[in-house]
Amino acid sequence: MSGSYLTLITFIPLAGTVLILLLPRQRVELIKRAAALFSLVPLLLAVAMWAEWGQRAAGAYGMRFLERLEWIPSLGISYLMGTDGLSFPLVFLTALLSFVAVMASWGMIKHREKDFFALLLLLETGMMGVFLALDYIVFYVFWELVLVPMYFLIGIWGGPRREYAAIKFFIYTLVGSVIMLIGILALYFGTGAVSFNMMEIASKAGGMLTWRAQLWVFLALFLGFAVKVPVFPFHTWLPDAHVEAPTPISVVLAAILLKMGTYGFFRISYPTLPDAARAFAVMFAALGLINIIYGALTAMAQKDLKKLVAYSSISHMGFVLLGLAAGTHLALAGAMYMNISHGLISGLLFLMVGAIYDRTHTREIPKLSGLYVTVPVIATVLAFGAFANLGLPGLAGFIAEFFVLAGVFPASVTWVALAVLGMLVVAGFNLWMMQRTLMGEKRAEYAELPDATPLELFTYAPVVALIVILGVAPGLLMRFLDGPAADIVLRLGGM
Amino acid sequence: MDWNLVTPELIVAGTGLAVLVLDLFLSEERRRSAAYLSLAGLLAALVASVRLLAAGLPDGSGAAAAGPGAGLWGGMLVADPFALLVKLLFLGIGLAVIMLSVDFVESRRIAAGEYNALVLFSVLGMMIMAGSRDLIVIYLGLETTAIASYVLAGLLRGDARSGEAALKYFLTGALASAVILFGMSLVFGGTGSTSLTALLAPGFLGLSGAAPVSGPLALAGLVLLVAGFGFKIAAVPFHFWAPDAYEGAPTPVTAFFSVGPKAAAFAVVLRVFAPVLLLGQAGGPPAVLPVLFAGLAVVTMTVGNLVALTQKNIKRMLAYSSIAHAGYMMVGLAVATPQGTAAVIYYLLAYAVTNLGVFAVVIWLNNRGTGDEISDYTGLAGRAPLAAAAMLVCLLSLIGIPPMVGFFGKFYLFMAAVEAGMAWLAVVMVVNSAVSVGYYYGIVRNMYLQDEPAGEAVRATPMVGTALGLTVAAVLALGFLSEPLSHLARLAGGGL
Repeated sequence: MSGSYLTLITFIPLAGTVLILLLPRQRVELIKRAAALFSLVPLLLAVAMWAEWGQRAAGAYGMRFLERLEWIPSLGISYLMGTDGLSFPLVFLTALLSFVAVMASWGMIKHREKDFFALLLLLETGMMGVFLALDYIVFYVFWELVLVPMYFLIGIWGGPRREYAAIKFFIYTLVGSVIMLIGILALYFGTGAVSFNMMEIASKAGGMLTWRAQLWVFLALFLGFAVKVPVFPFHTWLPDAHVEAPTPISVVLAAILLKMGTYGFFRISYPTLPDAARAFAVMFAALGLINIIYGALTAMAQKDLKKLVAYSSISHMGFVLLGLAAGTHLALAGAMYMNISHGLISGLLFLMVGAIYDRTHTREIPKLSGLYVTVPVIATVLAFGAFANLGLPGLAGFIAEFFVLAGVFPASVTWVALAVLGMLVVAGFNLWMMQRTLMGEKRAEYAELPDATPLELFTYAPVVALIVILGVAPGLLMRFLDGPAADIVLRLGGM
Repeated sequence: MDWNLVTPELIVAGTGLAVLVLDLFLSEERRRSAAYLSLAGLLAALVASVRLLAAGLPDGSGAAAAGPGAGLWGGMLVADPFALLVKLLFLGIGLAVIMLSVDFVESRRIAAGEYNALVLFSVLGMMIMAGSRDLIVIYLGLETTAIASYVLAGLLRGDARSGEAALKYFLTGALASAVILFGMSLVFGGTGSTSLTALLAPGFLGLSGAAPVSGPLALAGLVLLVAGFGFKIAAVPFHFWAPDAYEGAPTPVTAFFSVGPKAAAFAVVLRVFAPVLLLGQAGGPPAVLPVLFAGLAVVTMTVGNLVALTQKNIKRMLAYSSIAHAGYMMVGLAVATPQGTAAVIYYLLAYAVTNLGVFAVVIWLNNRGTGDEISDYTGLAGRAPLAAAAMLVCLLSLIGIPPMVGFFGKFYLFMAAVEAGMAWLAVVMVVNSAVSVGYYYGIVRNMYLQDEPAGEAVRATPMVGTALGLTVAAVLALGFLSEPLSHLARLAGGGL
């Protein structure tokens, strides 16, 4: 059992999908319980892996829990799964937030429950596989596997413009990922066409590909990842998808799906083509700063609470890009930290938006007011999320931003200055949003609203706790990120 | 002479004749027996082909008996791995089509004996096309298939559109045959032989430093062959017959057209052109051929996909979709490498299995009174969840989403293109695949995202259900079996 952790953690949700599809449609309670169980088991497995982490010596390529099975040997494709300090925190995040999303769906999804939970678990399998696969083709299979359930989850249970948002998401990501596939093939042939193993290709690509080829391949991969992050100007699908998606799906989208893109930079682009990465550093910085400032300003202008959180995601992903551009140890570790902290914080914020919408049936900020008086518990958690979002010291977001900025400083003071400007706007829109929704006159029509249910509190609790823990004890997470960040610095040539 | 090598053909021909005779003695209620007999015959031929293929594989016991080039009458009929592999495909297509037709034929009061015999003869013609290295024999196979197909298209005698389909199919088919025949005569004039091996002889096409005496003439012949077979595989600009023929023909016959004769025409194109293209790669003058195929590929997939976007009728939409897929497959020819050839073979298989799955759903619903408009599929997920799920799997495969088999088909084509330094063709395919999402997801959207109108459950008949189950299982499983399949495809392509 302990030998095949990664296969289990990846495919147990899929087993849940199959089981739920076999259950009769009317047994809603049973379906909900099955979904909870099949998303709880991966979380427990992740905890077990964490506990065992220290005892497991790193195997080949510095990976732990390695598994390998030949699949298409004539092309050098194998089912190769493994995890290291870069991917494991994301696996943990996926396990946790998938469970949170299932629990949040219990009360929020009120039609076609069977299809919903089956698709949500299928989505979890896809996301897990993306973070664990170390073979390009297996990686790509999981990468695409995420698309299909996401399309339906937005398209069936979404808001009024759900069809448009779903197909836009699908086409954007499909084009990006297939161009990424062509880049992968160019890498494969450029390195002698022997293996799709990510680490083997990474060790050869710099020496065997011509400089021109390296630049083109880097751009092809960049396009695939940039659509997912999303990097300006490929971001327009995100606000649509977020606004239309049902709450639990927004949580998964912001907390995990976006990280697939940044993970691609850390796992593939940078280690495989470090010279090209250095050549494109200024582009990364520019796009990162655009993401930070443009995302924040646009968030400020939103009347829709959900759109505000969506644009704030774009802004925070800019910090990851900026950290990548700087390429220093601190900046890279900070960028990886941002992946996790943003996953938790944006997940929590989307949960709160959902909780408020469930009660008031509106997400329009001008129509909300005085929530502190009517629903004090929900308002407090929302305030907590907003403060974490603006980078309040003592919470996870601050650590990430601090590391990124401290790491960017040696590379460029201008970048830091511009990023700080963006942070001011982020603080501004968060505070302004709180002022308009939480404070003010209480509205008569919201006077009788029920506050958070025990089930809701149960879903918020682990996320809130982790935001605090990662804010006061960054060593817990840094212990994982240190090694991978150092490796990338080494490959970049000790910039 | 080893008659053993043609047992599959003999079985299919014998079954076809037996079905015709049996039909005379069958009462109205026992008409199904014709279909059962046909299925048994196809299955027997399938088993015989598998045995021949297994014997001919390098590690098989009878390697010498059926190795590449083994054949009857000096190569007029061959049973090399390529021929056997595509024959397996044709027989599988025949089995699926007959299973899908049983209920349709009964409910539309089509003469069962004639129908099944025609399908069998058409399959026989396809097998002959794939299993010959001689232009005359290829032409005989082509006409056997074509004539049976013209009649099949017009079998709904009370339906004017069926008659229109048959007439259009016949007229363009006859024209294509004439063009092919003219091309063959030019090739014969240039080489002095009807055997395909003459195309590769030193001196022909000006290769190997010899004087290119007859090259231009034969090259013109080859270009005419491309045009003629372009009609048969419905490549743009030779495609205009396909939408009308597909829409008007009885739906199971449309399913057959979209995979059977098309795959057979592709088999001949591979048989004729793959060796020439590989020669051309060595620096010979046929460099015009890869350019020709690349141009046809780009135009065909682009026009097919763009026009498919505007279709309201599912059969017309599938016609344009099948045009687009022919375009993808020609990428494998344009790259002019052994990998490209193997990729085309793999794609043929992937496409045939997937498209049969789509048509199985269309026929299932058609039998139960659902119309052929795409709007008729609204809310299908509620009325027939299994049909909708099967359709979804097949459409994802057509788009090329892993782990469905269609992804691996595209993947091998991508690989061949990138390896040959023609990554731009792969990029054109990517853009086209994205466009195709538009119309495939039109169906998905109707099935799953639209509100369900109250309707009663639609159940499949056992025959259609079995055929659909088998094809969907293949769509899901064949991707994971890429290793042995691509190995077979490479082996088959290598023996051409």
